[in-house]
Amino acid sequence: MLKMPEPDSSVLARRTDIIAAMRAIVPASGAVIAEEDALRPYECDGLMAYRQLPMIVVLPENTAQIAAILKYCHQNKIRVVPRGAGTGLSGGALPMADAITISMMKFNRVLDIDWDNRACVVQPGVTNLGITRAVEHRDFYYAPDPSSQIACSIGGNIAENSGGVHCLKYGLTTNNVLGLEMVTIEGDILRIGGKALDSAGYDLMGIITGSEGLLGIVTEITVRILRKPETARAMLLGFPDNQAGGDCVAKIIANGIIPGGLEMMDAPAIRATEDFVHAGYPLDVESLLLVELDGPAIEVDHLIERVGDIAHQCGAVYSRISETEEERALFWSGRKNAFPAIGRMSPDYICMDGTIPRGRLSDVLTGMQVFSQRHGLRVANVFHAGDGNLHPLIMFDANQPGELERAEAFGADILKLCVEVGGCLSGEHGIGIEKRDLMPEMFSEDDMKHQERLKLAFDEDQLLNPGKVFPVLHGCGELKTLHARSVANKFPDIPRF
Amino acid sequence: MAETITPTNPAQLRDAILWALGDKVALEIIGHGSKRAYGHDVRADHVLDLSKLTGILFYQPEELVISAHAGTPLAEITALLAQKHQQFQFEPVDFPLLLGGGDKTGLAGDGPLGTLGGLAATNISGPRRLKSGAARDHVLGFEAVSGRGEDFKSGGRVMKNVTGFDLSKLMAGSFGTLGVMHTLTLKAMPVPEKTRTVIVPCDDVVLAVQAMSAAMGSENEVSGAAWVPTSMLAVISPDTVSLDDARTATAIIVLRVEGPEQSVDWRAAALCRLLADIGTASVVRAAPSLGMWQAIADVKPMQGQGGVLWRLSVPPASGGGVVGALRHIDDSADIMLDWAGGLVWAQFAGGDASRHVEQARKIRKIAVEAGGQAWLVRASAQLRREIPVFQPLSPQINRINRKISENFDPHGLLNPGRMAPEHEPDVLNAKQPVGV
Repeated sequence: MLKMPEPDSSVLARRTDIIAAMRAIVPASGAVIAEEDALRPYECDGLMAYRQLPMIVVLPENTAQIAAILKYCHQNKIRVVPRGAGTGLSGGALPMADAITISMMKFNRVLDIDWDNRACVVQPGVTNLGITRAVEHRDFYYAPDPSSQIACSIGGNIAENSGGVHCLKYGLTTNNVLGLEMVTIEGDILRIGGKALDSAGYDLMGIITGSEGLLGIVTEITVRILRKPETARAMLLGFPDNQAGGDCVAKIIANGIIPGGLEMMDAPAIRATEDFVHAGYPLDVESLLLVELDGPAIEVDHLIERVGDIAHQCGAVYSRISETEEERALFWSGRKNAFPAIGRMSPDYICMDGTIPRGRLSDVLTGMQVFSQRHGLRVANVFHAGDGNLHPLIMFDANQPGELERAEAFGADILKLCVEVGGCLSGEHGIGIEKRDLMPEMFSEDDMKHQERLKLAFDEDQLLNPGKVFPVLHGCGELKTLHARSVANKFPDIPRF
Repeated sequence: MAETITPTNPAQLRDAILWALGDKVALEIIGHGSKRAYGHDVRADHVLDLSKLTGILFYQPEELVISAHAGTPLAEITALLAQKHQQFQFEPVDFPLLLGGGDKTGLAGDGPLGTLGGLAATNISGPRRLKSGAARDHVLGFEAVSGRGEDFKSGGRVMKNVTGFDLSKLMAGSFGTLGVMHTLTLKAMPVPEKTRTVIVPCDDVVLAVQAMSAAMGSENEVSGAAWVPTSMLAVISPDTVSLDDARTATAIIVLRVEGPEQSVDWRAAALCRLLADIGTASVVRAAPSLGMWQAIADVKPMQGQGGVLWRLSVPPASGGGVVGALRHIDDSADIMLDWAGGLVWAQFAGGDASRHVEQARKIRKIAVEAGGQAWLVRASAQLRREIPVFQPLSPQINRINRKISENFDPHGLLNPGRMAPEHEPDVLNAKQPVGV
């Protein structure tokens, strides 16, 4: 079982005082939740097998309130767990019995759309898609598009440095953020970056992005918005084996083409999704590429022709090009529904998130087949081939004794293999508690100590989101197990990819 | 007596820092030393020279990734990338030439001066910054030795990686004050097939910034947007000075589009139509375009000049107003804009130090009021002791910066003083060298 820091009984003993203090800071009705029934919805995030009722939940409305809450927590040595929309898959918002969960969902306003500077200033509770919705009437959009974009908050995206399917061409969250306002645990309000591109001093924006709520609470975000490409078209390319599909990906890139999206699915994933959404995917191929090209129509047409030629050279046995916007959406619908499609085939599944050098894809898929036999569990693969981010979906039945443990061990084997071939544990879902104890697979003790020293520069008492990202030092044997249990899908309607 | 320590491998580098730690002596970290005149003078006992810690470790074009030791000459790396039609998308800048030093004879190709480590440590980026990000956005991973004498690494060689804190961002632009990076892995990207540059005469800087903003907000994927006085054209692009319209104007807007041939022609034509109200546009084709943008990246018109050079990073749309305000300080200042107005280069002619100190105060005020910051890029050693080179930080941010610095380099051994002048102890990294 995953080890979390022990609850501090002296804090629990002061619970009534703490509730009163929070109500004094945030007087709005219902803004401080202390009753068990009302706390229940906050007991987990998207990693649903791990649950813990928070001591209390506070829903502040403005930066001044957050500064006051954090200052109080700092003075009284009370732990804090920041929470966005709760869609995270790695348990980064898992509550603690002795901690205040601060929900950012009342920070839900778009504050400023600055067309001339192509920037949008939002509060952290605005959803990822909400930003695009706010600017699309003038044909602008916000580029990073994690799968949960309907529900996930931009504050959560900052915490996880979220990706999506367009990262190769348009970058991750970190490449699309211009400015932040963040409150430190001491209650200082930091204004970092803004609509200008460069800032003096250390790159605090770069380290806060992806810091999983360990450094402070972000209260305002300035993001870059982009003009939508004139056209986008998608291609489906089928191959007789994964090696050929992988080679095609490498050749497209080696030819200097950077597609807007470049996705790959293996045979089990193709069949599961086709069964579910009927996107017209070919069932007689072992590997399917979904390539999206965007830009002026004249460029897209030219690149489609070139990608078609490259695919042909690589032995493609199937090729289809979207002719209408509806058809493009249909091509994507299969890929975007891969997670629920697997969910139909298996009572439970866990989704892994390693990244590998693209050229090692075939080796890693072969390795997965070996693991699959060893653990006696099925696996389907969807792959952000453009940026090397794998999402193996391991299928199991939690009601069968021992299957969950086997699935977790299988997942750990996959992630270790990802690290072994030169990749990493997490491409976009974050470490949280899920992959925390695997960190030593990738980092030496000194590596992690330097990361923790950065943490201490912001939060010396380690009050912010304790127990996340870094292993709680304990028995060596426990360090090697993976604790990943995204058993159910909290938001079944969200396409996941 | 100051020594120069020249490690040739990471283990020697660590030994050197352990020695400094043991003897409590401060080190100035240099590569080729080509950007030594940027920032503040380091108060160090000895020099740690990384120029012999060289070598490309791997380059995989199909993975878009290259890894090399920090002392590897940048020109060697860019020449290798060019062989596979790749490049660093953030456009490395030949900063040393701007600082008034540097010698390019004997360099591989015509690549920029300096080392890979120096490039990352200073995080200086060219015109494509506005579309593709800065050097910090392209560093995938590093290995370093901190001021504690400990090896540490972060990131890796893949471009999507959220495993732990993103220390690559912290190290990029940290001027060697936290640790000494010995190995760096960066993202390489394809060189666009074709480049076109659209030139529109436009004397009025406010109008020019509005036009650049319209271009950036169009669907034409503009990858460079600058405003340049025609007096600088002979230096920036000898091939374009014959353009009739440009000759009669006092300044021009230059916009770059890159991509497949059909696409750049289509987009260049679309930009000409978009800006038809501003003036008659002309399109410069590939070859002259490339030289022109390298000259803009390197701020060539301001190379080899004696004046004090400032660099302001401001919200792009405020660029026009900022130029007006700078002219108000000194109407003879040489000024050009990059990043669609978001990067202002301003060169002020000589005068006594007190005048420049007074100017500095006004320039910083202009930058801050516009929502940006100002850097003192080129000035005499004396002026750089009087004026903070980097924008002074707010007390809250300064405090965090200081704590980070203390946690990574508790004894202040690495490049002490580089990021702040001596007499401003509250400003970032003004750590006292020990054992002096």
